Amino acid sequence: MPGSPRHHPVQGGWLRRAREFSGFALPGLFLYAVLVLVPIVWTIVLGFTDRTRFDPQANRVGLGQFGRLVQDGQFWLVLKNTSVVTAIVVIVPNVLGLGIALLLNRETVLYRLLRSVFFTPVILSGIVVSVIWQSLLRPDGVLNAILVDFGVESAPRWLSDPGIALFSISGILCWQMLGFCVVVYIAGLNSVPKELHEAALMDGAGRLRRFRSVTWPMIAAAVTINTVMLLISGFKVYEHILVLTNGGPGRNTTVSIAFDVIEKGVRGDRIGFAAAEATIMLAVIVAITAVVLRLLQRREVHL
Amino acid sequence: MRARFEIVRPVFAVALTALFFFPIYIVVTGMLKPADEIQSSPLGLPAPPTGENLGAVFGREDGLFWSALLNSVQITVLSVVLLTLSSAMLAHYLVRSKARWTKPALLMLLSGLMIPPAVILQPITQVLDAVGLMNTLPGVVLSNVAYYLPFGVFVFSGFIGTVPVDIEEAASIDGASRLRLFWQVVFPTLRPAAASVMIFLGVWVWNDFLSPLVILGPESGTTVTVGVYRSVGEYSTNFGTLYAFSFLASLPVLLFFAALQKQFVAGLTAGSVK
Repeated sequence: MPGSPRHHPVQGGWLRRAREFSGFALPGLFLYAVLVLVPIVWTIVLGFTDRTRFDPQANRVGLGQFGRLVQDGQFWLVLKNTSVVTAIVVIVPNVLGLGIALLLNRETVLYRLLRSVFFTPVILSGIVVSVIWQSLLRPDGVLNAILVDFGVESAPRWLSDPGIALFSISGILCWQMLGFCVVVYIAGLNSVPKELHEAALMDGAGRLRRFRSVTWPMIAAAVTINTVMLLISGFKVYEHILVLTNGGPGRNTTVSIAFDVIEKGVRGDRIGFAAAEATIMLAVIVAITAVVLRLLQRREVHL
Repeated sequence: MRARFEIVRPVFAVALTALFFFPIYIVVTGMLKPADEIQSSPLGLPAPPTGENLGAVFGREDGLFWSALLNSVQITVLSVVLLTLSSAMLAHYLVRSKARWTKPALLMLLSGLMIPPAVILQPITQVLDAVGLMNTLPGVVLSNVAYYLPFGVFVFSGFIGTVPVDIEEAASIDGASRLRLFWQVVFPTLRPAAASVMIFLGVWVWNDFLSPLVILGPESGTTVTVGVYRSVGEYSTNFGTLYAFSFLASLPVLLFFAALQKQFVAGLTAGSVK
């Protein structure tokens, strides 16, 4: 998608009667309005009611649900869990991904094959990835069998220790997203013109200096893309939690905000409460999007 | 120093990739082993490989795998085709039209690009309920089309901006009907964008879990992802069968990707990384 949309001044011809043409736009717009826009507004409205599944008579309770959320110790735990996962998922694949991209940035059959291996988990569904790891991380699973072989006395309880489970989930998400970052960074690295590197070499710049002054500025766009993708995927983590811990161990130690919204509003009956929580989620997404757009504009990345 | 690194490099790269690949290796070898061998030698190659796990998945009494596969294929093909058509037409109109409301419409669409399904799923079920599409395949397909539409519009509108308007105008002067004009003149120019839209959406829709789980519901069958989730409990001690199910559920999307790898990576990075 090189370049940005340009609006052509249309003179005469077939586009002058644009009104008749709007028939092209209608099917998509109609579906989007009914199944995305209406639900967004509906979510926000429901957040101000006490609606439950068994009592469709919703009463307006103003900020009542939000007040409950803030006073509810569990909500802060849910926010903390989501923040921990998101922070890990934004940082780790970004850093490792750049390192691996630098390592695998060679156009030979071997390195192309290795890159495909890293990309494989990206196209697997979260459910399949979680099922695989669940079997590896069980107390009697493969990973601990190997650790015992290597003489580890007491292997960690990856998914049933309240202090570890959230990090296990984050790690699995990192494993799944790593290949995405590698591919985007490789594309970024290859967009650095050779002449720039050669010029820097002629000027006697060392390895580090070349990376800092030539490579880094050129891959700024790749950093932005990866960070956005990782932010979103960390923030909306749901399937991995469902399969691996179902919110446990202990009380809600791995419940994320998306998991909580589904648990209470879709599978449970506290529709109003979950809608208030979803509204907060929406506000965070809007804030992230605004920041990202600002970044993109400042860096003048062409999308 | 430098030369030595060039010798170590491929060795290090292969070792690191092998470590990363380990979980997938366990799955692919594990599904070819009988249950006791998975426990006794998890790392070994299957000797000899057995097809009993794959057979167990194919030959389930309830035919869960086959019905799930059929549902997944139907949902993915229908969603992707409808999405490609509707987002191409919508993007074309929004970019080319001079109407005032196209700018805010485009913005409103792009704002939907980042919203996780969990946020709006509950009201979506209510809308679908109201029109009688809850627990049906069309319900899943239509909610997919609505939800992924911004992505399609985003890719197509970026691309249409780079296609000169002259071709369209020349054809319109010849007096071709609008629909014919769109399909015969405009759409062919969008082919590269259509390829990347279809690849991305194909993978995403195939891997979707939450919306088929909730919208299709237990009584209207499952998709392969929901099937894998449902069989976790059943096969809790029989990893071989679980691995076989996971592998078979992922195989179509892996083959799809392998066939279109070049376009996929090109689409991933086209224009966005300069």
